[in-house]
Amino acid sequence: MMNIHGLTKTLASRSFQSVSVGRNIHVTATSFLKQIVEQKQGKTLTIEAVYQPSPRSSTLIKLPEVEDKECCSLCKLDLPIKHTDVLILSQFLRSDGCMLSRRVTKLCSKQQMRMSNLVSMAQKAGLMSKLNPRNSKKNPKLRYGEKKFNNYWDESLMRPL
Amino acid sequence: MSAYERVKQWNTFARIWHIYDAKWQNPFDSAKVISKHIQGLHKPIYHPLNNCGDHVIVFNSRHIALPGYEWKKRAYFHHTGYPGGASWTLAWQLHEINPTLVMQKAVKWELPRGLSKFGLMARLHIFPDEEIPEELLKNVTSQLRQLRPVPRTLDSYSDKEIEEFPKVMDYPNDYILK
Repeated sequence: MMNIHGLTKTLASRSFQSVSVGRNIHVTATSFLKQIVEQKQGKTLTIEAVYQPSPRSSTLIKLPEVEDKECCSLCKLDLPIKHTDVLILSQFLRSDGCMLSRRVTKLCSKQQMRMSNLVSMAQKAGLMSKLNPRNSKKNPKLRYGEKKFNNYWDESLMRPL
Repeated sequence: MSAYERVKQWNTFARIWHIYDAKWQNPFDSAKVISKHIQGLHKPIYHPLNNCGDHVIVFNSRHIALPGYEWKKRAYFHHTGYPGGASWTLAWQLHEINPTLVMQKAVKWELPRGLSKFGLMARLHIFPDEEIPEELLKNVTSQLRQLRPVPRTLDSYSDKEIEEFPKVMDYPNDYILK
């Protein structure tokens, strides 16, 4: 029986081998965050893992310049976002409809709270029904009781920023 | 009377048929507009004794929208007259029984009190869906503007539209997409 140290050693050597040969064998879970780039200059072969650009980098909005450095992106833009603006609200969501954390969104706490409230309004109004957990009822017309009928929300009743 | 004067006379005193799409509209806000047109209050020749009201056809009344939690908070009261005969029906229960009643009651409450209500309500035609009888639809010459914009769901946008929409936020370098 192989001891743990020996196992890790063989795994490490295997992973190195997979990189050098270029085969698609992964020892750890694949996240596709980095791309392995091989460059050969003369006798030296450099293998480098480079972060891939995010899918949003091409369509990012240009933020206006504000004196306050600790201003978050939504405070800078100063948009009157409503719960019907699903194209903006869906940017803060995972594919199962959960809100992204502040580490990811980089919003201030007030804006993060406001966005999560607007998202819950949009979900209740059935405007983002596909962004939900896999086993949930995706069609808002099939919901139970009063939830199957159309409703809307008034943003002026929300706590001001 | 010249031809021009005659046409002006017809246009002033003719009953106009309006059509109103109630999809995603608040019935209580729409009732204020509809009741004015039924009474003829929008006309300069209006007088309470002048029978100058218009007809209004309301369709898609099944798809009206109420604000917030009002579907389960609003109750419709009825009393049979017997002891213990009181009943309270919630708005969503009434709408399930008859999808035109919430709209109809909203307009009825908005009209002036009195016996004229019955004659005025006869000029309101509510249909739960988009099917309107042909003989009513051929009279229609005017459309009432919707009070609220109909919201678009995220599913109604194509993948390309969602992708090309300006992004407010970028993922950090080490974020794994889920």
